[in-house]
Amino acid sequence: MNNPYIPNLVVIRKITTENEARDIKTFELVFKDPKAMRSFGYRCGQFAEISVFGAGECPIGIASSPMEEDSIQFTVKRVGVVTTALHNSVEGTVIGVRGPYGNGFPMEKMEGRNVVIVGGGFAFTTLRSLTNFILHEANRDRFKEITVIYGARDPGELIYKYDIEAWGKRKDINLNVTIDRAVTGWSGLVGFVPAVLKEVAPSSENAIAIVCGPPIMIKFTMPVIDELGFSPEEVYLSLEMRMKCGIGKCGRCNIGNKFVCKDGPVFTFEELKMMPREY
Amino acid sequence: MKWKTIEKRNFSALVEELAKENEVIGPLKEKNTVTSVRITSENEVCLDFWNTKKPPKEVFFPQTETLFTYRTSKNDAEIIESPAIRKKMVLVGVRPCDSRSLVLLDKFLSSGEHKDVYYLEKRKNATIVGLACNHPLSTCFCTSLGGSPSGKEGMDLLLQDINDKYLIQTVTEKGEKLLEKISWLKDAKKADIEKGKKLSSDAEAAVRSKVSLSDVSEKLDKMFDDPFWDQICQKCLGCGVCTFLCPTCCCFDVLEEGEERVRIWDSCQFLCFALQGSGHNPRPSGKERMRQRIMHKFNYFVKNYGKSFCVGCGRCVQECPVNLDIRDVVKTISARKVE
Amino acid sequence: MENFEDSIREVAEKLLRDKKVDLIIGYEQGTLPLRTTPCFVEKLEDVKKLVWNASCDANLSKYVVGKKEKVGVVAKGCDARLIAVCAVENQIPRENVVVIGVPCQGVIDRKKIEAKLEGKEVLEAVVKDEQIKVEGEGFEVVLPKKDFLCDSCHTCRHRNPPIYDVLIGEKLPQSTDKNEFAEVSSLESKSTEERWEHFKEELSTCIRCYACRNVCPLCYCKMCFVDQSMPTWFGKTNDLSDTMIYHIVRAFHVAGRCVDCGACTRACPMAINLRELVKKTEKIMKERYNYEAGLGLEEVPPLGEFKMEDSQEFIK
Repeated sequence: MNNPYIPNLVVIRKITTENEARDIKTFELVFKDPKAMRSFGYRCGQFAEISVFGAGECPIGIASSPMEEDSIQFTVKRVGVVTTALHNSVEGTVIGVRGPYGNGFPMEKMEGRNVVIVGGGFAFTTLRSLTNFILHEANRDRFKEITVIYGARDPGELIYKYDIEAWGKRKDINLNVTIDRAVTGWSGLVGFVPAVLKEVAPSSENAIAIVCGPPIMIKFTMPVIDELGFSPEEVYLSLEMRMKCGIGKCGRCNIGNKFVCKDGPVFTFEELKMMPREY
Repeated sequence: MKWKTIEKRNFSALVEELAKENEVIGPLKEKNTVTSVRITSENEVCLDFWNTKKPPKEVFFPQTETLFTYRTSKNDAEIIESPAIRKKMVLVGVRPCDSRSLVLLDKFLSSGEHKDVYYLEKRKNATIVGLACNHPLSTCFCTSLGGSPSGKEGMDLLLQDINDKYLIQTVTEKGEKLLEKISWLKDAKKADIEKGKKLSSDAEAAVRSKVSLSDVSEKLDKMFDDPFWDQICQKCLGCGVCTFLCPTCCCFDVLEEGEERVRIWDSCQFLCFALQGSGHNPRPSGKERMRQRIMHKFNYFVKNYGKSFCVGCGRCVQECPVNLDIRDVVKTISARKVE
Repeated sequence: MENFEDSIREVAEKLLRDKKVDLIIGYEQGTLPLRTTPCFVEKLEDVKKLVWNASCDANLSKYVVGKKEKVGVVAKGCDARLIAVCAVENQIPRENVVVIGVPCQGVIDRKKIEAKLEGKEVLEAVVKDEQIKVEGEGFEVVLPKKDFLCDSCHTCRHRNPPIYDVLIGEKLPQSTDKNEFAEVSSLESKSTEERWEHFKEELSTCIRCYACRNVCPLCYCKMCFVDQSMPTWFGKTNDLSDTMIYHIVRAFHVAGRCVDCGACTRACPMAINLRELVKKTEKIMKERYNYEAGLGLEEVPPLGEFKMEDSQEFIK
């Protein structure tokens, strides 16, 4: 019987500090066993359990695009025991990864349609995976218009600046990056994500919306999404709950009878409305 | 199905025989409690008991279990998987409620894409020798959950105390095989079987504690925000007695112990159970945690697996430090008017 | 006792009616023989649920800690002492609580009865005039109540609540004839190794359910040391060394504060004699500082304050 609790060994190839507060870093990981990399096939929006030996395990959304074949990336905020230990690790350290877990974004449903990606703060990680996947030359034709709205508190807290720069040069993406309050030196958009979304007003015609962000952003974004005419079945959100096993056994991440780790973490707004408010 | 009998005084000889090829685990009286432990030549299985203090889940899902060990060095790490437990086990004296709990645990832990190998490997290697209840306690409510004091669900063999001897009934092929090697067991006489049947029906009638579950799951669907939860959680202390002693509760935490990854029992009643790294807790007070336990047992599990996640063993009823009786909770839900 | 019950109801009703309190915390009949369960009364019509008998064993002061509203609470000697300790420690605003003090003649330890009956289940029990009549399938026994009280009640020297706002009935004469620390003496007569072995054996069956902690009114920390993860202080497994550290540290935390109400021992599903671990510290406090916790609202616990003349002999 295959043992789902045993992680694959991976080497931290590169660590990129993403923000000025230096508490968000992206870890580029390479499997020690190349076969394990191949069998780790994942979709955008899935997550994995990261093991830091001596500290423990925690679930982290996958930040790289499945099109990248030789490594996977995770962007991790320093919060608890494991993430702190990970932040204290250096390039070359061997850690563990098991997964991928969760349902991921509905890629098939997005094909041939406009995709509206709305993200705030640190939760943008899996949306970055999604954006890069769609923009990949092998995939881009399968999707119609791509609108990205991404906000952070201030320019220093914007993550993936290198990606944003690259996306900004392209004509096939409607990119809208915003910060909460005006600061000197920032010439881009200013305002909270819901306000910017209202301004940009992407059409809901033949479109799917994917929303990830802190609860407060979600709260004010959903009414705008609704105003724009998106039906609740066409809006997807990714949830966070405390998880341990990642495979629906340890029993703590359920919302009603659904386990966020295995039935989610991506749910439609319609599904969410049917679920008890306990997240 | 085969029927055998064994004189009570010979039972230890049967255990000895089984112990040749199996690890035999059975109830043992220690101080004032009965616990299921490994039976050796130094101790003797005790079949004269109400029920074991702790349910048999701990044989397959121990309170602390090493998932794997590892060694790390500068720029490397090595994982050493815990050896699979190959030793065959025989569990003797498992009460019908507890045996049923294993069936529910099997269902849950083998469901989905990823199976719980640690539990299932041990389970696969185990033979369950049940023991029918002739004298159910006032706290037993197995019949309300679809069980019975002489129920066979999850068992390979069923024993029944018929005064001077035990009547043995084979339930599965696995159980039959176990008996094949013991040539000296006597075939049961018709009178023995009749006696067993009579005791079973008497025991069934003796389960007086009843809770009606017919509409509970449905009601709970509409009770998530009911003020009822504020009331019933008032006296709950938030300890783990009910969940740890529950034969079906199997939530766990995973943590690091030295160079080991271990899992330990955890409880939805604990403050930290769903506490997130950010400090956000979706179940911040006793109200949400109590709701989670009741909902999980009588609504969520019903939706996912078609059955309640409770077998009516009564352990939580007996041992709750403040006598928060789950039967009362269910009865209150059942009597509640909801829209 | 029945008079007590009537008096408690009367007092509760008056307190609620006069809006002196928003909530009464008392006992009501439990679902099993010899059991009561905590009862929270907000409405006048529920006052009749309140009972008083020798099975009122829960320490209700636990429920007063952290309550925002005005509360009336039924309190035995030990319960009232814990209210005093928590008030001194600023966990209970004394003015928010109406202590309905009840002189207590001890509560029944149902585990002792269970042991006595050797496998026969009690289906009904009546306590009357110092006797417990228990009945079950095919048997009826009358047991002397004094032999089946909790161990902590046997050594109790404060049966009357030292603090109260209303007293139910009359004060009981102070009991002075018992050797309060007999159990401690027997432990003291053992060698260090023997004591260690004894505690190891006693704690080996612990399942870390934390009933002992959660039932204790003194365990009011928002986040217990065992639950903290940044850093992790102690292991959470049921490995004996982890288990013992938990119990030893908890014993230190309640040292000089514990009043030996016995709630931890009663709550333990594994029948571990938890109070034994702390009883020695109670003796030290009495001998060295002439201090007993929870006897008043003025005295600060010795371990909670510093005096220049404190003996420093532990610094070697």
